[in-house]
Amino acid sequence: MIVLLLRRVALSVVTLFLLASFIFFATEVLPGDALDVSLSADELAMMSPEVLARRKTELGLDRPILERYLGFMGGLVTFDLGRTIITRAPVADIVAMPLRNSVALAGMTLLLALPVALAIAMAAAQAKGRALDNAVSGAAIIGYSIPEFVTGLLLIAVFAVWWPIFPATITASTDDPLSVLLAAAPLAIATTIIGSIAYLGRILRVGLIEVMAADFVERLHLSGIPRWRILWLHALPAAMIPGLSAAALYAAALVSGVVVVELVFAYPGIGAELVRAVTRREVHVVQAIALAAAVCVVLFNLLADLGIAALDPRTRR
Amino acid sequence: MPWAWMRRGVAVADPVLQVRDLSIAWREQRVVDRVSFDLASGGTLGIAGESGSGKSTLARALLGHCRAGSAITGGSIRLDGDDLAALSEPELARRRGRVMAMVPQNPLASLTFHMPVGRQLEEVLRLRAGLSSGAARRRSLELFGQMGLPEPERLARRYPHQLSGGQRQRVVLACAIACDPLLLVLDEPTTALDKTTEAQVLGLIRRLRAARQGAMVIVTHDLNVVADICDRVLVMQHGRIVEQGPVGAVFVAPRDAYTQVLLGAALRVDEASRAAPTAPGPPLLEAAGLCFRYARPSIFRRAPPGPPVLDDVGLTLAKGEVLSVIGESGSGKTTLGGIVTGLLAAESGQMAFDGVALTARRTREQRRRIQMVFQDPLSSLNPRRRVGDAVMRPLRLFHGLDARAAARRVAALFEELGLEPGLLTRFPRQLSGGQQQRVAIARAFAAEPDLLICDEITSALDASVQAQVLDHLAAMQRRQGTAMLLITHDLSVVWRMARRVVVMQGGRILESGPTEAVFHNPTSPYTAALLDAATRAARAGHTEFREAIG
Repeated sequence: MIVLLLRRVALSVVTLFLLASFIFFATEVLPGDALDVSLSADELAMMSPEVLARRKTELGLDRPILERYLGFMGGLVTFDLGRTIITRAPVADIVAMPLRNSVALAGMTLLLALPVALAIAMAAAQAKGRALDNAVSGAAIIGYSIPEFVTGLLLIAVFAVWWPIFPATITASTDDPLSVLLAAAPLAIATTIIGSIAYLGRILRVGLIEVMAADFVERLHLSGIPRWRILWLHALPAAMIPGLSAAALYAAALVSGVVVVELVFAYPGIGAELVRAVTRREVHVVQAIALAAAVCVVLFNLLADLGIAALDPRTRR
Repeated sequence: MPWAWMRRGVAVADPVLQVRDLSIAWREQRVVDRVSFDLASGGTLGIAGESGSGKSTLARALLGHCRAGSAITGGSIRLDGDDLAALSEPELARRRGRVMAMVPQNPLASLTFHMPVGRQLEEVLRLRAGLSSGAARRRSLELFGQMGLPEPERLARRYPHQLSGGQRQRVVLACAIACDPLLLVLDEPTTALDKTTEAQVLGLIRRLRAARQGAMVIVTHDLNVVADICDRVLVMQHGRIVEQGPVGAVFVAPRDAYTQVLLGAALRVDEASRAAPTAPGPPLLEAAGLCFRYARPSIFRRAPPGPPVLDDVGLTLAKGEVLSVIGESGSGKTTLGGIVTGLLAAESGQMAFDGVALTARRTREQRRRIQMVFQDPLSSLNPRRRVGDAVMRPLRLFHGLDARAAARRVAALFEELGLEPGLLTRFPRQLSGGQQQRVAIARAFAAEPDLLICDEITSALDASVQAQVLDHLAAMQRRQGTAMLLITHDLSVVWRMARRVVVMQGGRILESGPTEAVFHNPTSPYTAALLDAATRAARAGHTEFREAIG
């Protein structure tokens, strides 16, 4: 188990190293350096070549690629993500709070969506092929395929406009404590939860139905073991295994992919920050956010792998 | 009363289980059709039949269980005073595990893979036998000990995948007898096990029967298992009972034609082999020092190299000779066939075909001269191609025949294999299993090979069809003078077809020689065990017969 853990962690570190390298080369080395990219054509035309060269030296853009790459990777190890080009503020400071907020939103969503999805999946698997199951499957497909901006706007229309019990947009600011922020964001959370329940419920339902048809379930049934016990103790852990990998990817996508929700509700998360960074052409901030997203994907996959190892003794070698 | 004769020999004295006119339907189709039998307390009944005969459905019904889509449509199952066919699900659940218990078909998948086996037995003991957790733990170790499992304490903490097939079957058995049920139903209890383990598990079942009062039902396709441990037998075909009675009586003098076919397929080494002798010709295939293993380590797979699947295997095959390779799954026999065919590349070793070195890279001529017939005929034929066209392909590819000449040749091949010309335009799925396999044989012979590799070609076929396919194959082989490498686990196929045999186990050749010599005087204990397991049905008929005549 410990060997497996160490090997997984080592593999994750290697993956992150390769991803960081890719992000660096994709954003810095491709045509135009950070300064060129962050300046508009008009600004470039206004600057004299000497000023431009001086700014480049200040930013270290005149150094050879390899040196800059080593500097970038070295900075990562000490969590120094560099400074922004225009305001010279530390990138880490800019990214930290929005990242925290996005992780909190994703975490909250999973925390609330998983039990509900599980309950729905169990009910549907029990009633496989009957009206309840068909209703659940239909609802899941609808819930999964409606875009989040539609759900979001619908929720705003119902719960903030017609029946004003929740705020339409979030009034809390980026640095507020999480409790304040999350309390101010019930509709944003509800929007992500609806899609999550639909997605996770579908995966868990399929897994459960497959496992309930397995030989070991029939044996237990024929030994007179109560059905609820078979479901909870024997079938559920087995059904969770294929669901875990999918859930991990989904959770990672939640952190980095809730741009739409964050913009609809003005939620101060990483997605909103990414949009801002791209429009302001802050290469270092884009790099940092891309890295944070990569870390999330790798981290959640690692967690899923470890979860699978905990559930399935056959994978522990 | 058209089925009055079936009632003969149905009733036994002191029955614990009485089944009367039981019918089970799957959708609209009757899979069990008016089945009636009795089982005495302490008795052991074998339910024999081929796949699709309804025997497993019947076995599950004895626990009041039908899989989704099927239901009991008539009749009664009286066990211990109750009619299981009329009980509600909660009432059945109360009896399952206590009054009647089951050892299901696939012991390898019948344990929860994420739970230590000890906990799974304790669960049954606590929930079904009402023991406290301490008592359940003590009793489970005791039961593991009784099952002949080594070091019960350590074994109880292990997961199913860490146990061998035989050990898993013992754990499942322990779970089934935990509450000492009146009726124990075992569905193919040894099919997934190798012959050595099978003999041990059957020995255990026999001991359990001697120690218990309850009755046993053993469902199996293997008449040797019936002969080994049952006192009564019931033969099923298409959901009906075609014959039942005491094992001795049925095996000595089967009344029903189908039972006769099943028993006819059993190995009888006391009769002369029907395989045709071959004159010693020049060697066609020579192989020496063949080794093969899977899972070679790579940058992405740190997995240790797997155990050798083939370990220093050599054989020679003369022109026109039939050589049989026997062994169980995992013995490496299929891998050997794959290497000879060129589907797999040996890790080391040499092969020569007709004096020329043979590697995994084949010339077109070598590919034509070495042909193969696979186990599953349906998946080895293109489902979207008419069978006539499938056979025509090698003729046009290898012999460059034009369409008319090829069609004439295909028609001739079909006739030789007893296939009606009307079948030429059918698709594989529209043919029976035996017909499909004969089409596959025709396709192989169309290339006019010098060497034909047959890998378990009759395992997917019913006993009645097996004989037909083998007869056609033997006749074809003799006419064409084709050498044949016959890979099989079925000793009766060897006896019927091959004068020389090679026995494989764990990737090695254990012994080889003329079939009669090896079968009459096996030198390795493993071969002896295989023979013992395969001849029980024949011997049962024999002994009873001798007893009967004095």
